[in-house]
Amino acid sequence: MARAARASAIRFEDRTFASTLAELPWGLVLMLVTVACIGVAALYSSTFTNPDEAVLPARHAIRFVVALGLMFFIALVPVGIWLRAAWPAYFVTLAMLVGVELFGVTGGGATRWLPLGPINVQPSEFMKLALTLALARYYHNNLTFQSGRFFIHLPPLLMIIVPAALIFKQPDFGTTLALFASGGVLIYLAGLYYRVIIAVVIAGLASAWPVYMFVLQDYQRERVNTFLAQLTGQAVNTLDDGYQIEQAKIAIGSGGWQGRGFMEGTQAQLDYIPEQHTDFILTVIAEEFGFLGATGLLLLWAIILAWGLVIAGRSSSLFGRFAAVGCVATVAFFILFNVAMVLGLVPVVGVPLPLVSYGGTVMFTTMACFGILLSVHLGRDDRLAAQGVI
Amino acid sequence: MSNEPDFESRLNRRTILTGAAGGVMFSGLVARLVQLQLFEGERYKEIANENGVKLDLAPPRRGTIYDRFGVPLASHRQAGRVSIVREQARDLDATLDEIGKHIDLSPEERRRIIQQARGQASFQSTIVKSELTYEEFARMTLLAADIPGVRADMAATRSYPRGRDLAHVLGYVAKASADDLTRLTENVSPEEASLLARLFKHPDMRTGRSGVERSAEAWLRGQPGFRRLETNAAGRVIRELDSDDLAPTPGRDIGLTVDAELQRAAIDRFGDESGAAVVMDIETGALLAFVSTPAFDPNDFVNGISYADYNALRENDRSPLYHKAYDGTYPPGSTFKMVVATAALEAGIDPNQRIHCNRYYRFGNRTWHCWKPGGHGSVDMHWAIKGSCDVYFYDIARRVGVEHIADVSRRFGFGQVWELGLTGGRGGTVPDDAWKRKALGEPWYEGETLNYGIGQGYLSTSPLQLAVMSARIAAKGRLIEPYIIGEGPRPDEPIPFAEPLDPDHMQRMMDGMYGVTSEAGGTAWRSGDLGLGGPRLAGKTGTAQVRRISEAERRTGVLKGEELERRLRDHALFVAYAPADDPKYAISVVVEHGEGGSSAAAPIARDILATAIRRDSRRAAKWQQTASVPSVRTGGGSR
Repeated sequence: MARAARASAIRFEDRTFASTLAELPWGLVLMLVTVACIGVAALYSSTFTNPDEAVLPARHAIRFVVALGLMFFIALVPVGIWLRAAWPAYFVTLAMLVGVELFGVTGGGATRWLPLGPINVQPSEFMKLALTLALARYYHNNLTFQSGRFFIHLPPLLMIIVPAALIFKQPDFGTTLALFASGGVLIYLAGLYYRVIIAVVIAGLASAWPVYMFVLQDYQRERVNTFLAQLTGQAVNTLDDGYQIEQAKIAIGSGGWQGRGFMEGTQAQLDYIPEQHTDFILTVIAEEFGFLGATGLLLLWAIILAWGLVIAGRSSSLFGRFAAVGCVATVAFFILFNVAMVLGLVPVVGVPLPLVSYGGTVMFTTMACFGILLSVHLGRDDRLAAQGVI
Repeated sequence: MSNEPDFESRLNRRTILTGAAGGVMFSGLVARLVQLQLFEGERYKEIANENGVKLDLAPPRRGTIYDRFGVPLASHRQAGRVSIVREQARDLDATLDEIGKHIDLSPEERRRIIQQARGQASFQSTIVKSELTYEEFARMTLLAADIPGVRADMAATRSYPRGRDLAHVLGYVAKASADDLTRLTENVSPEEASLLARLFKHPDMRTGRSGVERSAEAWLRGQPGFRRLETNAAGRVIRELDSDDLAPTPGRDIGLTVDAELQRAAIDRFGDESGAAVVMDIETGALLAFVSTPAFDPNDFVNGISYADYNALRENDRSPLYHKAYDGTYPPGSTFKMVVATAALEAGIDPNQRIHCNRYYRFGNRTWHCWKPGGHGSVDMHWAIKGSCDVYFYDIARRVGVEHIADVSRRFGFGQVWELGLTGGRGGTVPDDAWKRKALGEPWYEGETLNYGIGQGYLSTSPLQLAVMSARIAAKGRLIEPYIIGEGPRPDEPIPFAEPLDPDHMQRMMDGMYGVTSEAGGTAWRSGDLGLGGPRLAGKTGTAQVRRISEAERRTGVLKGEELERRLRDHALFVAYAPADDPKYAISVVVEHGEGGSSAAAPIARDILATAIRRDSRRAAKWQQTASVPSVRTGGGSR
C-alpha cells in the first residue's frame, strides 16, 4: 500500500504550489475544522448565560483560524528543514526552560512564562514539539539493527527527563506527563526490547509510592487522594474536593443517549461545573448531545489520529515516521488523558481537550503538531540523508 | 537508515501496535461513557434535576421551659427586624442613610453591616437591625415597599417573659461562638458535627450558655429541617418549593418544679438586699423557689450584650451574675447547730444534761465567746437550740469530735454537689482532719472543733444544702433529694447512699426549731406566726461572720453592723419549715451582709413560706395532670 501511494505521488521537484496544496489530506483538515466547530458550539452553550464570557466562542474561532494558518505554514516547509531545525529547536527550548527557572513569570501558582521583550512565552508548550522533532532526528541518525539495545535509548531518555524535570518543577504536571507519554511512545517505536520495557514499567509502578510521598506537591497529593476515594466509591466531600468530578459525572450521566439538547443541559446552564469551558468542556457536549455526541467526537478524533499513523507509516524516512508518530502521540495523550479525567478515570490534572477546550496554547501546539504531520505527508518520499554526527 | 528486513517489519509492527493501544484506550473511554450515560444515565438525570434544588437549613424551634403550673419561663417572641440585600439595593450607603432616617444606626453598627454585606454573596441578606419596636417595624415595612433591597420581616426570638426572676436557673442563650461549637460537637459523629456547624451559622439560631438552657441544650434544640430552594450553582435563589415534608422538628419542652409566682414574691420580698432563698417541697424534694438576687436579665444576652452592660454586671458588688443559691457557699453559722446536736445525740450525749453559759468558754489557753451578753445561764439541748447558745455547742462539739460532726453533716447533704441539671453548683466544704491535711497540710486542732460547733471556721455550705438540711429534719430523717426539672432531661447522677437520720433525734431538732420561733427565749420568736391565722413555722437563725473580731475590739466593744462597711457585715441566715405541726415546705434564706438571722433573714423566710402556703405550691404540677404527656416523672419520692 505504501509503495502504491508513493508511485502515485508527484515527484518533489515537479511540484507547484497548487499541486502541493492539492496533495494535502483535505479530509483530515475538514475533520479538524469539524472538531473546532464542535468546540465553538460547546463554548457558546456553556458561556452564553454569563455576559463576561460571551466573547469566548468567537475568540476560540478566530484562534482556530490563525492556528490553521500556522498549520499550513508548517506543512509547506519541507520536512528536511524540520530535520535540520530539530536540534537547535530542542536546545533553544531547553535553554528557555532553564530561563523560566531563573527569571520566570509566576501566575496562578506556577512559574511557566518567560518574558521575551513585550510578550511572555511558555517554553513548555514548545518543548512538546521540539522534543518530538529532536527524538525523531536522533533515531533518524542512530537507529541500527541493534535498536533493541538499551544503551541506544539512553540519550533519548535523558532528552525526555531533563525538560520533563524542569517542567515538573514549574509545576505543570500535565505537560510533564505529555512529554513522557509521547517520548515513551517514540522509544517504544524505536524498538526497545520488551523485557526492558517491562522492567521499566515495574520500576515505574514501584516508584509510585515514593513519588506520591516526596515528589508531589500538597495540592497534587490532595487530588490523587480525592481521585482514589471517588474511584473506589468512598464518600468524598462532594461540596469540596470531589465536587468538580462529581458534578462532571452528573452532567455526563444525565446526558443519556441523545443528550438534553443544545443549550438545554441544566448542569452546564446553571454553572455547576468549574472549568466547564476549559478542561471540562466535554461535560457540556456529553450532557447536551448525549452518548451519541460524545462518542461521535471521540470517533472523529480516533479517525484523525489513525490517519496520522497512516501518514507515519507511509513516510520513507525514519525522521518522518518518528516525527509523525510523536505528533500523533502528543495530541492523543491530551485527548485520552482529558477524557479519562473528565470521566473520573484518572486524577484531575489540568489537561485540556485539543481544539475543543477554550485556551490558546493548546490550540497552537495541536495545530503545529498537525502541521508537522502534513509536512511529513508532503515529504513522504524524501528518504532524507542523515545529518551531522548525531 | 538500516534496511534490515526484521528491523523494518518491527517498526511497522510497533506503529500498528501503538495505534492498536490507542484504539483500546479510546474503546475504554467509550465503555465508560456507556456506563455513565446508558446504564447510570437515569440515576444521574435524577441527581441533575435535584441539583438545582438547594436545601436551605431551617432552624428548629427551641423547646419552651415552663414553671410547674405551665407559666412560660423561656419561650419565643416575634420580633420585627429589617435587613438589606446588597444586590437589590442600588447603593448600600444611600440605602443605609435612608434607613437611618427612621431608626437609630450608630456609625459602629453601620460599619458592621457594610462589612458583613460586602463579605457575603450579593444576593444574601444582611440584618440591619433586629428587635425593632412596633413603631420602627411599621416604618420599616412602609420603607421596604419603596426602597429596593430593604426587607422588613418578623423572626422568632428567644424570650424570657419573667425577666430576671429565674435568670440563674434558666441561664440564657446566645449566638454560638467558636468555643460553643467546639463544645457542642464533642462526642458526636462527623456528619452531625458538620450539620451542627452549619445550623449554628443560621442567624436565628441560638445555643444555651448557662443554666437549664445549656444543660438541656440537646433536649431543647430539636432537629433542623430544610427548605427546598431552586437555585443556580452560584446559590442564587430562583424560587422556594414546597417543603412541608422537611419541616424542622421542634425541641422538647421542659417543665420545672418552680412556682414562678412564689419565685417572684420571694424576690420582691428581698427588695434591695442581696441573697438567696431556696424553697423545697418536703415530701418530694421539688424545688419551688430557687432565688438568687439581684439577678441579670437573660433577655439582654439573647442578641449579645454590650461590653459596657456586661462589665456593669460583673463589677456590681451584689454579684448579679452569680448564682448565690447554688454556687454561693457561706459559713452556716448557728443554722448548723442542729447538725452538731444530732451528732451529740448519736454519740450518746444526754439532751437533758445542762451546761452553764456565762458567755465564756475556756479551752486550753484561749477563751471562746457566746454571742449573748451575760450568757444563757444553765441550758439543756432544747434551750441551747432555741437560744442558740454558743457555749453549749462549744462543749458538745468538743465532746463529739470533728470526725463525727463531719460524718453527720454529710448525711444532711453538706459537702455534696446536687446535680440539678443546671450549670454550676458547689458543694462547699465539710472539713475534717483528712481534709485539712490535704488542703492546708496541717493536722486538725481541737480548738477548731469548737468553731465547728457553731458553724464557723472552714465549714462552708450553699443555701441549697441548708434547705435540704431543714427538709431532712422536717421529714424526720428521710434523705430527701432536691430536684428542679420536673419534666425533661433529669440528671442521672447516682445519689450516694447515706445512713438515714434517726426520727427521734429529728423530732428533738424540730422541737428545738419550734422553740426558736414560738417559745419564750427563742431567737426568732417574733417570726413564728405566718400571719395565716393558725399555721406557724419552725426555724433556726444563723449569723455567718464575715470578719474576725479581735480581742482588742471585744474589749472596747464589738462594732455594731451599722458602724461597719457593708462588705464587712455578717451574713444573716435562716432555715425553716412550715407549717410547724405538719411540715410541707422547707426553706433556707441567706441575706448577704444582712447582719442578724432573726432580724433580716427570718422575716423574709416567714413571708415566703406564708406565700407558699397561700398559693399551695404543692398542688399537682401541670405536667403531672395530663396522662398523655410522655416521660412524666411524678415527684421525687421514687428517686
